[in-house]
Amino acid sequence: MDILNNLIMGFSISLTPTNIMYCLAGAFIGQLVGVLPGIGAPTAVALLLPMTFTLNPTSAIIMFAGIYYGVAYGGTITSVLINIPGESSTVMTCLDGYQMALKGRAGAALSVAAIGSWLAGTFSVVLLMCFAPALANFALRFGPPEYFGLALMSFGLLTVFGGDEPVKSIVSTLIGLFLATIGLDVVSGVPRFAFGVPQLLGGVDFIVIICGIFGITEIFNSIENPDEGDLIKGKMRLKDLFLTRAEWIASRWAIVRGGVIGFFVGLIPAGGITTASFLAYLAEKRISKHPEKFGTGVIEGVASPEAANNAASISGFAPLLALGIPGSPTTAVMLAGFMMWGIRPGPLLFQNNADLVWGLISSKFIGNLILLLMNIFLIPFFVMILRVPYTILMGFIVIFASVGAFTVSNNLFDVWMMLGFGVLGYLMTKLKYPIVPLVLGLVLGRLAENSLRQSLMLSGGSVSIFFTRPITLLFMSAAILAYLTPLIQWAIKSLRPAEGKAA
Amino acid sequence: MWLADLIGGVVVLLFGLSVVIFSMQLPYMSEFGPGPGFLPLWLGIGIAGCAVAVILKILKKRDRVEAFIKPQTRVGLQMLGLIVCAFLLLPLLGFSVGLALFAATAMRLIGKHGMLACGLTAVGAAIGINVIFGLWLEIPIPTGIVGW
Repeated sequence: MDILNNLIMGFSISLTPTNIMYCLAGAFIGQLVGVLPGIGAPTAVALLLPMTFTLNPTSAIIMFAGIYYGVAYGGTITSVLINIPGESSTVMTCLDGYQMALKGRAGAALSVAAIGSWLAGTFSVVLLMCFAPALANFALRFGPPEYFGLALMSFGLLTVFGGDEPVKSIVSTLIGLFLATIGLDVVSGVPRFAFGVPQLLGGVDFIVIICGIFGITEIFNSIENPDEGDLIKGKMRLKDLFLTRAEWIASRWAIVRGGVIGFFVGLIPAGGITTASFLAYLAEKRISKHPEKFGTGVIEGVASPEAANNAASISGFAPLLALGIPGSPTTAVMLAGFMMWGIRPGPLLFQNNADLVWGLISSKFIGNLILLLMNIFLIPFFVMILRVPYTILMGFIVIFASVGAFTVSNNLFDVWMMLGFGVLGYLMTKLKYPIVPLVLGLVLGRLAENSLRQSLMLSGGSVSIFFTRPITLLFMSAAILAYLTPLIQWAIKSLRPAEGKAA
Repeated sequence: MWLADLIGGVVVLLFGLSVVIFSMQLPYMSEFGPGPGFLPLWLGIGIAGCAVAVILKILKKRDRVEAFIKPQTRVGLQMLGLIVCAFLLLPLLGFSVGLALFAATAMRLIGKHGMLACGLTAVGAAIGINVIFGLWLEIPIPTGIVGW
């Protein structure tokens, strides 16, 4: 009953004309970002974040959420029509979506992606309504040791999922944590790593880093690795978007399965929407009666990953809202936004900012509906947008990043620092040091350090505090296991050839 | 790429060691527990330790065939040069004119777009920056010799 009352309260907030407008704007921008090359959801949110200083946080977060799940819809269009994923979360959609387009069923592929995303997204919101408050209630028991364990576990999981080179992921995380220590120490007031530069005494603002590391880095990467695909020719008519009966029958259970997988993967810190779509595709292929046809243009191969990525983009809000731990790069940037607005996500958010939480959750119903309609009626418009050259977008990214960095403290020092972080991000990407762990380390750095210091103060300096409390023990075990996974994999790999030789 | 990767590893190692050295100048413990130098010291040790692991791995494997400098890297450097020039001119030209001119120049030099398209972009961007950031969002963007 509580949930229903809260939902009604949420709708009373999200259905105000202003918030509907922000939801629409977010969904539209998200869809655009998904279609446009070289801009991802974290970049879009990072570039727009400084513009929301003066906005009502509820309206701003409704818009950012719209961008986040809108991107998953938009990325599908490029995956289906030019075989280039607009977003990493739509990589799996390319496999069958583009093949369907080559067979003249591009409309059906886009349609099933939109319907699947909407159904799975709505399903995910319903589960989020039930799950997030329960998670928040559970997290009320957390003290500093639990929070430190949780942060450590998040860093560890990101290391496991972070790419081929886990040691480089750890380096990135540590650099992010280091950046968070710059400035006056909150406990002792001692300046750290400021080197007499007054602008550094307050620390390096995460907006400056985020604008550089997502905005400027993205420009250099896109210049160096241009993605150019051939657009499927031919006009798309409204009737092409309708599914045949056979297509609907084939895709309906794939949507359900994708939605369930997506929801649960999205809950895991660092799980992410890309992992969700990947797992959903593999699961669908495994249980299919005709797995050999996957990759040749089967509709389940589009329906399942699309449903999964949308469900995950919504359930990913559960750890962010209930624990204050972001599950993906975009939610990490959003966490920075919460800090900017002076709101601390976590269990108390559900009590202290119930209007924000339920306004956001209810807006997802509206946003998903808007995106469904957009994807049915505005496809020709987004196909047109696909033709905008990246060389035009680059200038605008620099404009947004520069103004964004400037707004932090109204000085040019931050603009130069933003450029410096852009170059750093580019070099890191080139040398295969992932930048997402750096962002996570940066936004969780203060929480991790403060909870570590408070825990050690509580225990009189003994680290046993992290292994004697049940919840902390669970998090620490998961963290240790995550950090050891690459070592275990390496050991297994090293043993295998030896076994082979012995045989 | 192998050499670049190795240099990258060495830079990370030096960075980690610098963090250790500077952290040692901060109090490690305070009256109530860990001091301001506690976490940075361990972070520095962690970064340096991981850098050693990265370097050892690079030295062991020499199979990276991907080139660090690609044909498009030069264009990226041009872009960086343009951004630096634009930022240097910001105090003189102001945000709207400086960044609008940058956008148009980048379109012309890197995208090889026509003069008309670049000119229209410059005018549109200058007006857009003023209206969106200056008037609508009320951000006190610096003005230059043009006055906006």
